Amino acid sequence: MNSVKKLLKARESGSLLFLVLLILLVGFINPSFWQPASLLGCLNDSVVFTLLAVGIAFVILTGEIDVSIGATLGMSAAVGATILRDGGSVVVAVLVALLIGAVIGFINGFGVSVLQVPSLIFTLGVNGVVRGLIYVYTGGAWVENLPATYTRASNVKLIGELTVFYAATFVFVLIANYIVTKTRRGKYFTAVGDNISGATLVGIPTTATKVSAYVICGILAAAAGMVYTSRIGFITPTAGNNYEMKAIAACVLGGVALTGGQGSLFGAAIGAIIMSSISRILVFLGFSSDYDNTITGIMLIVIVVVTTVAQNRSIIKNRHEILMARTNKSGENKKGETV
Amino acid sequence: MGKSFLEKAKKFFKSWEFVLLLILIGEIVIFATKNPKFLMPRVLFGSLNDIISICIISLFVTFVMITGGIDIQAGSIVGLSSIVLGVAWQDAGINIWVAVLLAIFVAAICGAISGYFVAYCGVQPMVVTLGGSFLFSGIALLVSNLSSTASYKGISGFPESFLQLSKFRLFGVLPAQVIIFLVLAVIAYILLNRTKYGRMIFLVGVNKDAAEYSGINVKFITMTTYILSGISAAIAGIILTSYLGTAKSDIGMTFTLPIITAVVLGGTLSTGGKGTVVGTALAAIVIGVLKFGLPLCFKVPQQYLDIPVGMLLLVVVIGRSLLTNPKVIALLHKEDKK
Repeated sequence: MNSVKKLLKARESGSLLFLVLLILLVGFINPSFWQPASLLGCLNDSVVFTLLAVGIAFVILTGEIDVSIGATLGMSAAVGATILRDGGSVVVAVLVALLIGAVIGFINGFGVSVLQVPSLIFTLGVNGVVRGLIYVYTGGAWVENLPATYTRASNVKLIGELTVFYAATFVFVLIANYIVTKTRRGKYFTAVGDNISGATLVGIPTTATKVSAYVICGILAAAAGMVYTSRIGFITPTAGNNYEMKAIAACVLGGVALTGGQGSLFGAAIGAIIMSSISRILVFLGFSSDYDNTITGIMLIVIVVVTTVAQNRSIIKNRHEILMARTNKSGENKKGETV
Repeated sequence: MGKSFLEKAKKFFKSWEFVLLLILIGEIVIFATKNPKFLMPRVLFGSLNDIISICIISLFVTFVMITGGIDIQAGSIVGLSSIVLGVAWQDAGINIWVAVLLAIFVAAICGAISGYFVAYCGVQPMVVTLGGSFLFSGIALLVSNLSSTASYKGISGFPESFLQLSKFRLFGVLPAQVIIFLVLAVIAYILLNRTKYGRMIFLVGVNKDAAEYSGINVKFITMTTYILSGISAAIAGIILTSYLGTAKSDIGMTFTLPIITAVVLGGTLSTGGKGTVVGTALAAIVIGVLKFGLPLCFKVPQQYLDIPVGMLLLVVVIGRSLLTNPKVIALLHKEDKK
């Protein structure tokens, strides 16, 4: 009973409920949406954003932000795709891509937590530099003619319509979520974001935690880049442009607070599914995909405003209750003293 | 009197604006020695043409950032105002200047919506304006569908009087859009440094609670900064539409990062409470001249220009954070004593 209550109170369950309601609603209007193929299609489409959103969720949980992940995705995808095109092995391509992600993540982490530069600004600068480096590396040309075995990999199905990529991503999210919520070191991320001075006082290595959050974020952005390469089949110099904003939006939809310390990776993954399903849902509702951004924007603002207002109300209510309890208690104590 | 002037001058030489001015002069000297053509007034002022929208918006995004907020929706408001202007003129048949006013009005409403959620509902500015950037760019696309022209083509064929907004040259050299920028910079400067309103903005940024207790309507002041940045985005969108000769829904999409870069490079603290219009204006010009001069004088391809701008931003913020780091300050003082 207690665990059920806890589950209902968790921030991400609101997002999950929203997703379920959305699926039910769209299905009522157009029952063909309920077919497993289209439902699983939503999941399969969300792999890139899930990886990005879960990655940036690590950073956001520590109370920082990373707007360079779109460029990281583009850079690692461009390098990985070039290796594949030139006949390199998949393992080498993926490892090099992940290494690039890790290096960019480390630079971000170093700048933010060691050099103490505000994270938005630092990652903004890194974003510009990396975005430019993509042009230098590719010479402005597309990376095309990738081996078919690699581009087909994103379509390999595990069961029914569920792709191996999504299944693997889902398992990864579950494990990562377990680590962050249940293990000692995993809880560092939320602790640092919740109260950095408190975390320092109880002996949590805050600098190392933030750097590792950025490194994880970079690696996951690179992984998203390799998935992107497989799904799209070619890389343009603008690949991943503005994806950072969509990933942040996915986190917000999934109940991850940008102030840090609140939310979960699981929530970010749900937010990513909502984000990437919008265009598919619009098609099923008979709207053109031109409504995509409008709906995303409205959803984002409504969800955030409603949760913030509710939260502020409950904070005020809690404060009031605490005050009342205190005044009652002190009243009793005084009585006790006089007796 | 003389002493106070000397002190003022001393203060100026120590200020961040002075550093920016040195960077700007350095840039111009380097570019001019490499390619003397650069010093021709027409070229020099022309260098600002492509970045003038970013210059204008960043002036007023400075206001938002001084209150401790951030505005990442201005880029999408640029596109929205451009397409509203185009559709109102071409498809609704409204007079072009009334359409201009309509575009500004729509942008002000957009700013007010986001400002309301930030100020009155207490939602994080970053999140609200992120939602706003999706929403307004989405609405811009929908508005462009109202037009009989396909949205990817853009609406063109504007009357000559409207195109003059960017074609006009004062004394044959000074482009009209640079004049508009300078006028707006002066207005922004006066608003921020010479009026009660400006003082209120600073106080809100320094300490919201103190501002509230001293009788300032913090919520309203916060909201107005978003309205101002929305209006400036509309002005930028109108000038850009005139410059390009076409109204499109997505013309401001890539502006977000350069705007924030200009504001931060100009010395505005992202935590609020500190910032200057002069700094922002200088920083925007530094970026504009850099982006124009590198391809002209050093044959750097256009697409590479994100690298120097990004590096400039990184070097500046790292340098500034090192200089305010207590450990580094202690180290510097030690060296002084030796």
